[in-house]
Amino acid sequence: MAELKPILLVEDNPKDLELTLAALEQSQLANEVVVVRDGEEALDFLYRRGAHESRNTSDPAVVLLDLKLPKVDGLEVLETVKADPHLRQTPVVMLTSSREESDLVRSYELGVNAFVVKPVGFREFFDAIQDLGVFWAILNEPPPRRNGA
Amino acid sequence: MTLQMQDIDLTACEREPIHIPGSIQPHGILLAIRLSDRTIAYASANVAEIFGFGATDVLGRPFDQVLPALSAEFSTQLNDPPTAGNSRFVRTIRVMTAQEEKFFETAVSRSGDYAILELEEPPVGSVSSIDALYPTLRRFVEQLQGASTIEALCRMAAQDIRRMTGFDRVLIYRFDEQWNGTVVAEDRNEVLPSYLDLRFPASDIPAQARELYRRNRLRIIPDAGYAPVPIQSHDPAPLDLSDSVLRSVSPVHLEYMRNMGTLASMSISILRDGRLWGLISCHNRDPKRVSLQVRNACDFLTQIFSLQLEARENTTLADNRVRLGAIRTRLLAHMAAEDHFIAGLVNHPDDLMMLASAQGAAILTQDQCCCLGQTPDKNQVRALFDWLSEHQQEDVLATDTLSEIYPAAKAFADQASGLLSISISKVHSSYVLWFRPEVVQTVKWGGNPEKPVREEAGSLRLHPRLSFEIWKETVRDRSLPWDRSEVEAVNELRNAIVGIVLRRAEEMAALTEELRRSNKELEAFSYSVSHDLRAPFRHIVGYSELLKKQEASEMSEKGKRYVDTIIEAAYTAGTLVDNLLRFSHMGRTALKPRPVDVARLVDEVRQKLMAQQGERRIQWIVGDLPPMTADPVLIRLVFENLLDNAVKYTRTREKARIEIGSRRQDGETIYFVRDNGVGFDMKYIDKLFGVFQRLHRMEEFEGTGIGLANVRRIVERHGGRAWAEGALDKGATFSIALPDQNEGAA
Repeated sequence: MAELKPILLVEDNPKDLELTLAALEQSQLANEVVVVRDGEEALDFLYRRGAHESRNTSDPAVVLLDLKLPKVDGLEVLETVKADPHLRQTPVVMLTSSREESDLVRSYELGVNAFVVKPVGFREFFDAIQDLGVFWAILNEPPPRRNGA
Repeated sequence: MTLQMQDIDLTACEREPIHIPGSIQPHGILLAIRLSDRTIAYASANVAEIFGFGATDVLGRPFDQVLPALSAEFSTQLNDPPTAGNSRFVRTIRVMTAQEEKFFETAVSRSGDYAILELEEPPVGSVSSIDALYPTLRRFVEQLQGASTIEALCRMAAQDIRRMTGFDRVLIYRFDEQWNGTVVAEDRNEVLPSYLDLRFPASDIPAQARELYRRNRLRIIPDAGYAPVPIQSHDPAPLDLSDSVLRSVSPVHLEYMRNMGTLASMSISILRDGRLWGLISCHNRDPKRVSLQVRNACDFLTQIFSLQLEARENTTLADNRVRLGAIRTRLLAHMAAEDHFIAGLVNHPDDLMMLASAQGAAILTQDQCCCLGQTPDKNQVRALFDWLSEHQQEDVLATDTLSEIYPAAKAFADQASGLLSISISKVHSSYVLWFRPEVVQTVKWGGNPEKPVREEAGSLRLHPRLSFEIWKETVRDRSLPWDRSEVEAVNELRNAIVGIVLRRAEEMAALTEELRRSNKELEAFSYSVSHDLRAPFRHIVGYSELLKKQEASEMSEKGKRYVDTIIEAAYTAGTLVDNLLRFSHMGRTALKPRPVDVARLVDEVRQKLMAQQGERRIQWIVGDLPPMTADPVLIRLVFENLLDNAVKYTRTREKARIEIGSRRQDGETIYFVRDNGVGFDMKYIDKLFGVFQRLHRMEEFEGTGIGLANVRRIVERHGGRAWAEGALDKGATFSIALPDQNEGAA
């Protein structure tokens, strides 16, 4: 089995963060969960820049990306990731409070792998987070990378 | 220059340069003095008869040397010659001729660089001064005030001109738009026949003659059998005689006079606003001279007459304007009171038709055709509309013979021989039309107007018609003409309508802009709600769940119930927000209609619902459900809501029965969902489809009360209707009707 890659969780709201982490915890994934709090930091992590310049973790198995973020918002992060030939393969799941169709349409245009509207019900929310974690972190075999990095 | 009657091509009349005939009539003499050096430049050949020297002998010699007395007489006029277009009667002077001293009436006019002097010997027995004419002029002016109509005025002018001149017949001759002339008044003795009411074709007085008449108001031919007197000159250029009183006339005209049996004629122009309105035309069977003095008085009288005519016509016009202005004001008020100007006109047909004294009217747009009063049938009016859309370039079109420009109009001459049309908008073709019926008229022509000339057998020579016998013509396909005031009135109505239409368009644009802005605000609002309002409810639910789990062992039963209640309340609030957002979203997003397989859709919805029902047994009766064209996402929501309600409200029934079917009726397809559930009281029917309106207590039947509001909103956006019938405890039937082809979808 390949090295276990981390889950990158991009979330600015501390309450949502705590609830999401609780859900992920409950799913008992072995993957490390790396938390960043805005879009800029997310990109720093992905590009090994700034505070994450010398990270020794591998690239994430999945990015759980909140849509509304300070500095660089979720859609911009998504756009950057999907426009980059090295990062394009990394699955990105958009997590959002909004049911706005425009956000959904835009996300799919930019190549999002899944779009999840955070359910109000706790059970549904937990189920959704756990399903995502399990599906993307464990079950989903990422395609082989061309440069082997 | 030869003065013999030449072979004349009469069709060339229009081209004949009648202002430079090179000759004069023999009842006077003509001298033209070069203004720069006061030499004699032109002289009529007959000066020899008066002064005893040949015309050629004096050409080029100083005027004051040849005729010192005459030169002294005219020194003032030579120093200050009249401007072109004016001839000036000077006075009667005594001149020493070769034989004796004689009286001459003299006139001075200007022709380029020359002053033209014309001398006429007064006819025997003529009045010698203006004093003799004064009583007639005075009486005329006094009577003018009393003339009640234009016709009476014309009669009076004819009488007084005849009284002053003694002609056998005096006619007042009026031009129409095509320059045909009609005799509108006459005064005569028994020598010549009556020409009253006769019409003469435009070709009788060709364009260049009319132009000359406009410029030089009075012409006289004392004897149509005269021999012209040539004008002698060293200058090869002919002398322009436009303002001369002795100008020799076209041989064709002389032939015309002889054919008419009148050897003497005089005509005076009636000008109105500088345009030739008509002529006062005087005829005598035998040759007849009229002194310059009297002719001048006639011209003066005619000018007074012209002014009076103008005043009368202006008064009539002003009266009409006031009358029509009042009607127009009423129409404006009618239009202002309505949402659309068309309604304002259609609802007041009498005012609309009265504005143009029309018997019928029509208001036309691309998709409307309202006919009022006496009009052609709708198809004919439609066809006319199409023709106008293509051909009417001007804002207002007025014709009393529509069939001349639009031959199809012959078919409805009885309703619309005359058309007055205003074009409201070129972009979205729209017109208001007024119609006048055919008025069959008999026109009496002075001779056959179709053959104003005749060809002499075997030669190219043409002559004016020989016969002036009354030639009757029946004029068809012609209405009464539209009056100037009527054309003005509809034009002003047009301006008003255009103003109203423009204002409405501006209001609409402002409204649309406002709507767009508030829609944008609403969008921003709902976007913010969807992000920011949902989250706290999610957090309440989430943290409560965590709390419950964390403290499970410590918490009392009561505490657990409290936490559960918090969770449930927050959950409900969150769902409410979701539903509200969906509802507002539905009103704003554009429909994406496509064919929907309703039978399949209902089946899917039913399967999904039943999967959640566990043990419940429901009898489904699904009838024929034809496909429709609609937005598939939204129409699914409709059936989800209707079926969900049916399942929910039959929950208490042991044998739940739900029937889904359809029927066609009056261009609509009606789909219905009928259940045998708890039903509802019809007195609350109005609340059923309202947002957040509930007819049951929460603990009886859960729900946010927005489902049916969504149903109605979606169906109405598809141009359809939604309604319900039911009775308490007796089940309910919910129906939606969608128009065929979904024409109303927006």
